[in-house]
Amino acid sequence: MADPTLARLLEHPALWRGRSAARIDVVPSGLAALDEQLPGGGWPRSGLIEILIARFGSGELSLLLPALAALTRAPAARWCVWVAPPLMPFAPALVARGVVLDRVAVVGGERPLWAFGQVLGSGACDAALAWARQPQPRELRRLQLAAERGRTLGVLFRPRRAAREASAAMLRLGVEARAGTVRIEFLKGRGATHAVVELAHPDLRAGQA
Amino acid sequence: MKPLQSRPAPGEALPAPLPLPPRALLAPAAVPAAAHPSAELWAGLHLPGLADARRLEELATQMHAFTPRVSLEPPDGLTLEVRGSLHLFEGVAGLRTRVLAHCEAQGQPAVLSFAPTPLAALVAARAGKSLAVLSHAQLTGQLSALPLSVLRWPQPVVERLQRTGVRTVGAALRLPRAGFARRFGAAQLATLDALTSSTRAVRRLFRPRERFRRRHELTCEISSHEWLMNAFVPMLGELEQFLRARGSGVMQLECRLLHRQGQATRCQLELAAPACAAAQLAALLRVRLEALPLPEPVRALELRAATLLPRTERARSLWQPGEHGGSAGAEAHELIERLHARLGSGAVHGLALLDGHRPECAWTLSAPPPLARHGPLCGITVPAGPRPLWLLKQPQPLPVRDGLPQRRGPLNLLSEPERIESGWWDGGDVARDYYTACDPHGVRLWVFRERGRPHGWFLHGIFG
Repeated sequence: MADPTLARLLEHPALWRGRSAARIDVVPSGLAALDEQLPGGGWPRSGLIEILIARFGSGELSLLLPALAALTRAPAARWCVWVAPPLMPFAPALVARGVVLDRVAVVGGERPLWAFGQVLGSGACDAALAWARQPQPRELRRLQLAAERGRTLGVLFRPRRAAREASAAMLRLGVEARAGTVRIEFLKGRGATHAVVELAHPDLRAGQA
Repeated sequence: MKPLQSRPAPGEALPAPLPLPPRALLAPAAVPAAAHPSAELWAGLHLPGLADARRLEELATQMHAFTPRVSLEPPDGLTLEVRGSLHLFEGVAGLRTRVLAHCEAQGQPAVLSFAPTPLAALVAARAGKSLAVLSHAQLTGQLSALPLSVLRWPQPVVERLQRTGVRTVGAALRLPRAGFARRFGAAQLATLDALTSSTRAVRRLFRPRERFRRRHELTCEISSHEWLMNAFVPMLGELEQFLRARGSGVMQLECRLLHRQGQATRCQLELAAPACAAAQLAALLRVRLEALPLPEPVRALELRAATLLPRTERARSLWQPGEHGGSAGAEAHELIERLHARLGSGAVHGLALLDGHRPECAWTLSAPPPLARHGPLCGITVPAGPRPLWLLKQPQPLPVRDGLPQRRGPLNLLSEPERIESGWWDGGDVARDYYTACDPHGVRLWVFRERGRPHGWFLHGIFG
C-alpha cells in the first residue's frame, strides 16, 4: 500500500536508506538468486570479501567462477591471481567454465598474506583469491584498504568458525554444502540484509547445461 | 705543398668508420638548406675552471641528450655537432638556452658558441664570446677580432707572432701560408686551416662508458636495513642518470654489502622488463634487503649493473587501471618483480593447457601471464565431461566398505562413469572409470575406480 506522503518523503535527497546506500560498482555473480541478495546486485569490483566455509570444496569456488570468467574475458581485463591455493586449480576445468587462462596467475610460497596484500594493492589485478587460516584483524583492515587502492576484488577463504571474529571485510558470506544444494548465509554486508540463499549446486547445474 | 686541410687536428687519429650525422636519421627536410647553407654546425662548449677529466667525461655523457656526436677537447672543452638536432630544440637559440641551463644545474660555468667548424666554435667560446656563425662566409670576419691566445699555441710561437705585430686570429689568417709554415711550424698552419676549412671536420667521437659500477664507503659500520637503504638511494639516483643519458635500462642489478671480515653479502635484483627509475629500483631493493640476513655490520656498498638494454618508455593509460576499463601494463611487471624479489623467482606461475587425455597430463605450469603469451587455447579442446576445479597431485586411495568408497562416510555416486584409458605408450598407462560423487557433508568429489585389478577406488579431484 503506497502512502503518497510517505512516497514524497522517501524522495527527499537528504533521507538515507540502508539498501540504497550501497551504490557500488559490481560484477554480476551470474546466479540470479544470489545477485538479488548481494548489495548492488553483484560482487563488488573493489574491496575485500570473506567466504567462510565449513569444509574445503563446499561449492564456494563455483559461486565465484561465473564472475571470474566474465572478468577475465573483458577487453581490457587485468589479472586474476590465486594466492597460496591449498591445491592446484585444474586448468581444463577453468577453461571449460569460460576463464581465459592468459589472465590467471598462481602465487605460491610462504607469506601468503603479504603476497595477497601486494597483489590487491598493485592495481594489476581484477580479482585475487587467497586462502588463509588465521589473519589478524589488523591485517584484514590492511587488505581491505589495499583492495580499494588497487580497485581489486579480493576474496579471502576462511574457516567457518572465523564468523565469531570481527573483520574489516565489506562482505562476509558463510557457505555450506547440503545434499544437492549450497546454502549461502549473509553474515555481514554494507546494505545487505541477514538473508539465507539456497542454490542448487552451481557446478552440477553447469554440468547439465 | 701538400694540402693540409684534410689532415685531422693534431694528436687525433681518424675514427673508423665515420658515423652518420643525425640529420640523415631525423627528417632531413626539417632543416631548410637555404637558411643554413653550411653542411655541419658545431657547438663549442668552453668550461672555464674545469680540470678533472672524469668530470669532463660526465658532462660529455650528459651532452648526449642534445646530440650523439660529442667530442672531448681536454682539458676544459667539448664540441658537439648539432645540425641535425636544431629542429628538435627550436633552433640555435633554444639549444643554447638548454645546454647552458643544463650546465648551470650542474654548477658548471660555461660559454657556448656556434660555428661551421669545431675549432672555430671552440676558440670563440674560449674567448668568452657567445657567437652563432651559421655560414662559412661570415666565419673569417667573426673570428678576426679574437686574440691569438685562444688558439693555445706554444708560448714561444705566440711571442714571435706578437713581435711581428700579429696579435689577432684575423692577422694570422692573412699571413702567406708557405712562409707561415716555415717560420711558425706546420702544426700551427694546420690549426689555422682547421679553423676555416670547408671540408668536413674529423673528430674522435666520445663514447660514454657502458658499465655502471659504484662503490660507496660508509662513514661508520651499519647493520640497520633502513640505514643501508638510505645509503643506496643516492647510488640508485646516479644509476638512473647514467641509464637515462644512454636511453637504456637494466634487467639485472647486483648489490654487494662488504663486511670487515668474511665474504661480501650479495643481493641480485631481477626485473621483468628493462627499468631505469630509481624509485622503482629502490622499492624493489627495499623488499630484498628486508629479507636479507646480515652476518656482520656493513662497511661499504657496491652497485653493479649488468648489461645495458635498450629501454622503451611504457605507454601509460589515461585511466587508472581498473577504472573505466583501464588495463594494467607497468603495474603487472612491477607486481611480478616485487613477488619474485621477496618470495623467490619460482613464486609466480601461469597455467596452460596440454594436449593430454589423462587429467594429470592435461595442464602445466607456465611463465606468469605478462611474460608468456599463448594464443587462445592453442587449439586444444577441453573435455566435455565434468571436471573438478581442484586436482590432487596424486590420486588418493579411498577405503571401501560394502563395495562403496568411503570418505567421512559412504560416497554417493551421482553420475554415469566416464572412461579414461590412455598413456600405454609412455609407461603411465591408466584405465579408469571416473564418477562424480558426493560425501555425507555435501562436498562434491571426483573419484575413479581402476579397471585393472585390484579395482581400487581413488579420490582425484574436488569440485569446489
